[in-house]
Amino acid sequence: MSIRSQLLKGILDGCVLAVIEKEPVYGYELSQKLFQIGLADVSEGTIYPILLRLQKNRLIRGEMQPSESGPNRKYYFLTEEGKKALQLITEEWTQLSKPVNELLIGGGSQL
Amino acid sequence: MNVKALVEENNRKRELLTPENEAYYSDLLIYIRLKFRLSELHTEEILMELLDHLLEGQQIGKTGKDIFGDDLKGYADEIIEQLPKSKKRELFPFISGIVANIVGWLLIIRGFLFLVLSPFTAVNSTVYPVTVIVIAFVIATFVIVTIIYILKLIEGTLFKEKQSKWKEIMKAGLIGAIGMALILLTVKFLPKIGPSFEFSWWASLLTGAVILASIYVRKQMNKD
Repeated sequence: MSIRSQLLKGILDGCVLAVIEKEPVYGYELSQKLFQIGLADVSEGTIYPILLRLQKNRLIRGEMQPSESGPNRKYYFLTEEGKKALQLITEEWTQLSKPVNELLIGGGSQL
Repeated sequence: MNVKALVEENNRKRELLTPENEAYYSDLLIYIRLKFRLSELHTEEILMELLDHLLEGQQIGKTGKDIFGDDLKGYADEIIEQLPKSKKRELFPFISGIVANIVGWLLIIRGFLFLVLSPFTAVNSTVYPVTVIVIAFVIATFVIVTIIYILKLIEGTLFKEKQSKWKEIMKAGLIGAIGMALILLTVKFLPKIGPSFEFSWWASLLTGAVILASIYVRKQMNKD
């Protein structure tokens, strides 16, 4: 596993929740959006175990609906618990990313 | 959408895959469907999502490997780990239904055979319940062991580049033959033990018919 995908693993749940929060998506759409954002290293299939886990933890729920192109697709929606979890992840990430950025990129001048 | 509709849609859509992607997806499908402890509905739903994804990817020239990675078995295990288990409440009626079906048909066949044969030969319609239970136990054990063994054999043929199936077929045939021999030997040499009673052809037919009819009624009641 590359360093990038190892780093990504911990935060991917948050990324998936954030995409779904903007608008309900189905699996293929979700992978396209992650790709467009620039997370090209996520192998497309990776999202399905994540989607299953998020459903099991009731952070998202799936619903069969006709898609734009016609056939039925399972669309994912954020639940109330999902919104709270996303908020928490965002806060944690902000707290974590600032010192890590300073340390790795800013050269850690205050050390 | 129910399980049956999903399975039918899956069969239809699978024909749209290229031969290479079809072989790839089928391995995934068989491997996941063989896990009977998983909730059937959730299993079929995720299989449909994966198939839809593969079909969309195929249109822009992607293969199954591009989408689901090189380690397909590892990927399938990840999916299986996240799928909810089926409830015992669903499993028990399923197994008891199969057993009742077999017993019902056996009784009807027995009754019918005795009816047809009795004018030509002396038919012994005495039944020794203890002996019958022992034989039924031996048969049930054989059936369960064989099913588990064959499922393991099928699992072993998945996720391989080149597949030679004749070895597996030979193994399955061999265990079938050994099991049948064991059952026939048990039936032949098991002494008649315990109490006994007369179980005539018409009683046999009647009991069998009642069992099958009650299975039918229960099925109809569960339909809606």
